[in-house]
Amino acid sequence: MTPTETLQEARIFGDGLERVAVRAITPNIFWLTHCLGDLAADYYKEYFAPLPNAEAYAGNRIVDYPFSAFLIVDDKSLLIDTCGPKQQDAFLEALQFCLAGKTLDYIWISHVELPHAGNTPAIKRIYPAAQTITVAGGDNYDLHGLENAQLAAPGDVIALGAHTVEMVDALFVDHGLSQWLYERTTGMLFTADWAHNLHEPACGHCFKFLDEMLETGYDTDTLVEDIKVNAWYQFPWLAWSDGDKIDTAIDRLFEQYDVNILAASHGNIIRRDFKPFIPMIKEGMRGAVAMPFSNVL
Amino acid sequence: MIRHVTDDLYQIGEYVENEYGFEAIHIYVMLNDGRPILIDCGSHIHRESVMAELDEVVGDSVPEYIFLTHSELPHAGNIAAVAEKWPSIKVIVSNVMLPYIEVLPVLPLEQMTQVVPSTTIQSPTRTVEFLSALLKDQPGSHWIYDSRTQTIFTGDGFGYFVPESAVGALSDEISGGIATQWLADYHRVAFRFLQWIKPDRLNADLDTMFGNRPVSNIAPIHGGVIRGAEQVQVHLGRLKTALAAVNQAYWSEK
Repeated sequence: MTPTETLQEARIFGDGLERVAVRAITPNIFWLTHCLGDLAADYYKEYFAPLPNAEAYAGNRIVDYPFSAFLIVDDKSLLIDTCGPKQQDAFLEALQFCLAGKTLDYIWISHVELPHAGNTPAIKRIYPAAQTITVAGGDNYDLHGLENAQLAAPGDVIALGAHTVEMVDALFVDHGLSQWLYERTTGMLFTADWAHNLHEPACGHCFKFLDEMLETGYDTDTLVEDIKVNAWYQFPWLAWSDGDKIDTAIDRLFEQYDVNILAASHGNIIRRDFKPFIPMIKEGMRGAVAMPFSNVL
Repeated sequence: MIRHVTDDLYQIGEYVENEYGFEAIHIYVMLNDGRPILIDCGSHIHRESVMAELDEVVGDSVPEYIFLTHSELPHAGNIAAVAEKWPSIKVIVSNVMLPYIEVLPVLPLEQMTQVVPSTTIQSPTRTVEFLSALLKDQPGSHWIYDSRTQTIFTGDGFGYFVPESAVGALSDEISGGIATQWLADYHRVAFRFLQWIKPDRLNADLDTMFGNRPVSNIAPIHGGVIRGAEQVQVHLGRLKTALAAVNQAYWSEK
């Protein structure tokens, strides 16, 4: 299988807790993703237990949650996040498969958590000239294994050839030092932890694009519900939030960026015809704000 | 730097420098009658000094637990060294965390337990309770309350940047205590979500949490201990002021 043949089906490296799959979103942009598949039921039982409707996520419907990176291959190549150390061997193999002999020029980090940045040192050992890029703002990146990182700010751009990426102010985050990324040629917006669905391994939805899922049993009502539940988990600060400000900020984001592809770290990729999904994302966020939060005080 | 806080509670760890000043990377140790409990385990970049300090504090005892406030490397990056020295150690993490992927893979998963907020762990002289972390930069975070020393371990919450003159100091050793601005600088960097909240709501939850139990010490990982009940009340007030100021500044700038 060649890298571009993964436009049609996944190429999988490793298995179990270590597996990583590759799909081509476009001929030059790759989705490198880990999820648990048949192991999800065991690993997510505790995770989803606090939900008011936990049975919908860890009982009737067994859901899974990907951890993803993305690679743009052009005159210069740029990797968006790195997956985690547990997937290191499979990830490095997948990365080299996608690069097909080319070198890696940039390792762009959305934020410092292990599933997003944890393989940076291992990648640097293979591609020592690759420049790590993190968001400016006050942290000491040595603490996160990201020594000598170049600091970026919203609006900064990197020309890769036919692709150009722009740093985006990350609106909805867990870690304070986070950034999003917009690729101008394809209109791909990378939103890290925000605006994503869940998938069911039993339905064959691992490594599928969202359009493929919608053709095989998934529906947009469930998408809204998933976006809501994920926001509730990822952003517990929504308990104290001002929903009107969030709504306005989403509108402004999609006015500023002409988005065609939505690539979130923990969801299935919306690879085309994105705009009809904007109201669904807003509805999901409004739903999350309205959910009960059960802080133990 | 080893600091005795109170009773069997010790603060150890190092500081790093950034554009705002100096930031603590602390570990807390409760000796717990010969069965020590660690709160976090420090950074890999401080491995040598931190392991020497842990050795000195616990002596011949074998730490039984690490309670991870969360799994970012400044909090858990030294886990490989700790696991190598004390391979039987058990790790307690939040239920909103997936240990197989969010913690460095150096211990058998069977030694890691996920707990929901309100879980308690008893020992002969203390009850440790896991609470919701109200200020967190990772969903899988929790705060931890120790009944014996009446200490809340607040992870990233209540962190602050200090000038070099205050490195290593506890709050009651700093003239005037911890400045509101130091708290504001840290929380602005660490918690960008503050732009979206209504501060009164968050501050009300902080008041409730601190009103629900006697708190004599606040132990942040990124700051020295706020020591003494009077200091706790003063600095809880300062934090609430700082959170409101950070929120207001976002919208003033926009």
